[in-house]
Amino acid sequence: MAQNISPEQSGAGGGGSKHSDDSLPVKDNHAVSKRLHKELMNLMMANEKGISAFPDGENIFKWVGTIAGPRNTVYAGQTYRLSLDFPNSYPYAAPVVKFLTSCFHPNVDLQGAICLDILKDKWSALYDVRTILLSIQSLLGEPNNESPLNAQAAMMWNDQKEYKKYLDAFYEKHKDT
Amino acid sequence: MSDIDVLWGDVLKIFPVLGGLNTVPAEEVDEKVYENVRRHLSILGSVETFAAVVDLEIQSVIRNVLVPKFWKHFQPGVVASEQSASSGINDQALSIEALPDKNRLFTQFIDAINELYEGFQSLAHTKPRLVQLLGSEDKVPRSVKMLQVDGIKTCLRDSLLAQLPPTFSVVVGAFYWVHFKLFTKSSHLALATVDSDVFDELLCIGCNFDVELCCCQKLTEMVNQTNMKLFEMNLIDRLTGSALTALIKLKIKEHINDTCMGIFDRSHLKQLETWLSDVIMSWLTNIFTEWKSKDSIHDEEVPASVQSFKVKLTYFMYETFAQSVISQFFSIIIDYPDSIPAIDDLKICMEKIDMRVYLTESLRSSLEARILHPGVNTMDILTGYVAAIKAIRHLDNTGVILEMVTAPIKDYLRKRNDTVRRVVTGLTEEGPTDLSEELAKGETVKDGKESGLDEFSNWENWEPDPFGIDANVMQYNSSRVMRSADIISMVVDIYGSKELFMTEYRNLMADRLLAQLDFNSEKEIRNLELLKIRFGESLLHSCEVMLKDVTDSKRINAHIHGDSNRTENQLFDISSLIVSAQFWPSFNKESLQLPEELENEFKKYTKAYEAYKGNRTLNWRTVTGRVNISIEIGDRTLDMVVSPTLAVIIYHFQNKTEWSIEDLSTITKVPASALRRRLSFWQNHGLITESTPGIFTLLEKESEKSQFEEMSLTEADEEDLESAMASASDQREEELQVFWSYIVGMLTNLDSMPIDRIHQMLKLFASHSGGVEFTQDELKHFLQRKVREHKLIFSGGVYQLAK
Repeated sequence: MAQNISPEQSGAGGGGSKHSDDSLPVKDNHAVSKRLHKELMNLMMANEKGISAFPDGENIFKWVGTIAGPRNTVYAGQTYRLSLDFPNSYPYAAPVVKFLTSCFHPNVDLQGAICLDILKDKWSALYDVRTILLSIQSLLGEPNNESPLNAQAAMMWNDQKEYKKYLDAFYEKHKDT
Repeated sequence: MSDIDVLWGDVLKIFPVLGGLNTVPAEEVDEKVYENVRRHLSILGSVETFAAVVDLEIQSVIRNVLVPKFWKHFQPGVVASEQSASSGINDQALSIEALPDKNRLFTQFIDAINELYEGFQSLAHTKPRLVQLLGSEDKVPRSVKMLQVDGIKTCLRDSLLAQLPPTFSVVVGAFYWVHFKLFTKSSHLALATVDSDVFDELLCIGCNFDVELCCCQKLTEMVNQTNMKLFEMNLIDRLTGSALTALIKLKIKEHINDTCMGIFDRSHLKQLETWLSDVIMSWLTNIFTEWKSKDSIHDEEVPASVQSFKVKLTYFMYETFAQSVISQFFSIIIDYPDSIPAIDDLKICMEKIDMRVYLTESLRSSLEARILHPGVNTMDILTGYVAAIKAIRHLDNTGVILEMVTAPIKDYLRKRNDTVRRVVTGLTEEGPTDLSEELAKGETVKDGKESGLDEFSNWENWEPDPFGIDANVMQYNSSRVMRSADIISMVVDIYGSKELFMTEYRNLMADRLLAQLDFNSEKEIRNLELLKIRFGESLLHSCEVMLKDVTDSKRINAHIHGDSNRTENQLFDISSLIVSAQFWPSFNKESLQLPEELENEFKKYTKAYEAYKGNRTLNWRTVTGRVNISIEIGDRTLDMVVSPTLAVIIYHFQNKTEWSIEDLSTITKVPASALRRRLSFWQNHGLITESTPGIFTLLEKESEKSQFEEMSLTEADEEDLESAMASASDQREEELQVFWSYIVGMLTNLDSMPIDRIHQMLKLFASHSGGVEFTQDELKHFLQRKVREHKLIFSGGVYQLAK
């Protein structure tokens, strides 16, 4: 969590300093929104199966993403919504990505927070929305059980049959949230 | 007692009124009798009472005897049948025309007036007698109304009007109708002599009797008499005024209809004004003064009522005339500029009378009825539109009326899909058309900035907007820029954007350039220059490049042809038109695979080009172009110019005389349906026949040559008509496809959205890529199409993706 610089910084500012991102090589908002526009266009044109994202309302800094559960995994056939919040310092800082649909997964907590290295310390400005979504999609099928956020899921993971049963019930219960 | 009887007898002698109405003029009465009565009255001390009695008696005679008697002449039954329905003055005036028996009404009126006049006369005698009786006027008590100035007249008028039957004005109308006829007889006669047929009937125009028996003179005298009597009784204004006005209005309308209908090439206002003052006004003056003429009345003494009448009638004439012009305004528009005098007339009328709303409404409806329906060619609508712009601009410089009237035309033209094409053709067509003339004038289109400056620097010439226009409309039309724009921009403005228009122009130009490869570009360049002046360089940049491509290609061709290495052992000549793909409109996606031998030739050409230009190469577009072919078959030789596809097809039959359509389609990469259409060209030429369905065979022998001679022309023409360019709508479709990706994207992530939200999102996020505007209406059509294709679901006002 500590690597998620922007929110941390603004939190540390405490007094509501508006220049929380100054410590980073921030470009002006215009450049960031231009980049996001471009990413959106690429995403729309690529029209990749299984992943999609679009700005949620007029603010191009807040997106909603959709990923389909990867085939040949227990998540096949399910779709998950995510929220992507881009900081002003994007792409030098990673966006905050959370599951909107509750997801039963070793590396996702019940509030939807995701434990994924490229969203934390391994973030690079070369990543974009598409790669983030693809990484999360593959994370579904290949969890990192070493550092679980959801210990129950991590424990159950080994028995795929039982896991699948529990997951399906969980998904049915939460898919509309 | 006998004294009283004698006295009463004397009184009656003086005032026959007291014994009831007696129209026979009272006999002269001796001074003695007056003496007698006067003496007795003063003895009795009742002079005042007596005068009052006489006064009352006169009043009651007028009310109860004279007036009812007069009105009895016009009792229902005489005229009522014609009058049952009508009430307004104009209706009455119209019904005068319809009355069968005007002459009867005429005489009836004269009789009635005569009788009334006699009664009036006898009563009028009373006044001097009363004065005589009382000794002097001063002694007459104030309360005796009859002895005041015009007392009897006022009383008579009041009681007449109080009992006025509704039908009366018809009678008056009839009377003056006859009078008018009599009065204008001379001018009518002049007309009639020209038309001998009318003259042969030997009826007097004035009185409708045989010419020999003409009694116009007599009738005129009778009328004058009557007028005089009416005047003397002070009745002429009140009793006849309204009927007279109605009649004159009717006459004005008739006159305008007779003289001005359908004639637009000269001004009528002068003539109408002359007519009004010469005929109508002199007639009116005649009514009011003619009978007095012997009493040496001066012209200046024309009654004030006649003067004020004139003002009223002049305005009425303007109004009627303007209405008549407006009702024919469509024809005027079509006749423009020959109809300028009519428009000038209307302009003068409109300065005096507010007719704008009427004009716009009437013009809009006539335009809608006449040109805005499917039966009219787009070109004709455009011509009408241009003429309307010119004509209305002549009428109203500010352009407000123009905006309002032409709005429906614009809306309608926008719905026609060939409008832009027609406009472009009109602009560039050979020979003078309205549009190309306008273009040649070479005015520049002012863009917003410039004219904005104009408005401030030119404030001295500022004119207020015309009045009488809805304030809402005014606000809506507040952009003066558009209003002052010229015809070309008005036409281009139909689509609201110059860009669309220019795109179509580019497409058409590309077609023209490709259709005639040995193209003389001078005219195109001239047009282009003119358009550039008008629309600015940037929009027409690609057109310029296209023209440059054509000339460059000629040069490159000449160079490559001159290269001796290449000309050795080549199968045929190739001349290329090298186009810069970026600047030309995108081509349609037809394909054609050339036979190997031919393709090799093209490869050679490409090599030569590469050698010449370095770093560049050619992508051949095999479908477009012209091929000179010479076909030798049997004992026939055909030389023709055909499209490459046709040439390739017949080329394949060179080696193999029978082809199935599938095989041919595979080898040429032309879809079977298109191929079949091309094959029919050769079938019509009698070279190929469809021996069994789907199998085509070469015909070695000539058959039915006559048929193909005829067919070839039409077929070849048809071929030419096909455009090599992807049409504007195809291009639009591609843009829409981009939008579709975005729509799918947003609906995937945001579930369901109403149309305005989708539109807003597209505007926010997708306009970067397309760079094209997209109206909500367009979007709606598009989304509805997707719903029909089951790609979207529309329910509860929101769209969502179909599962």
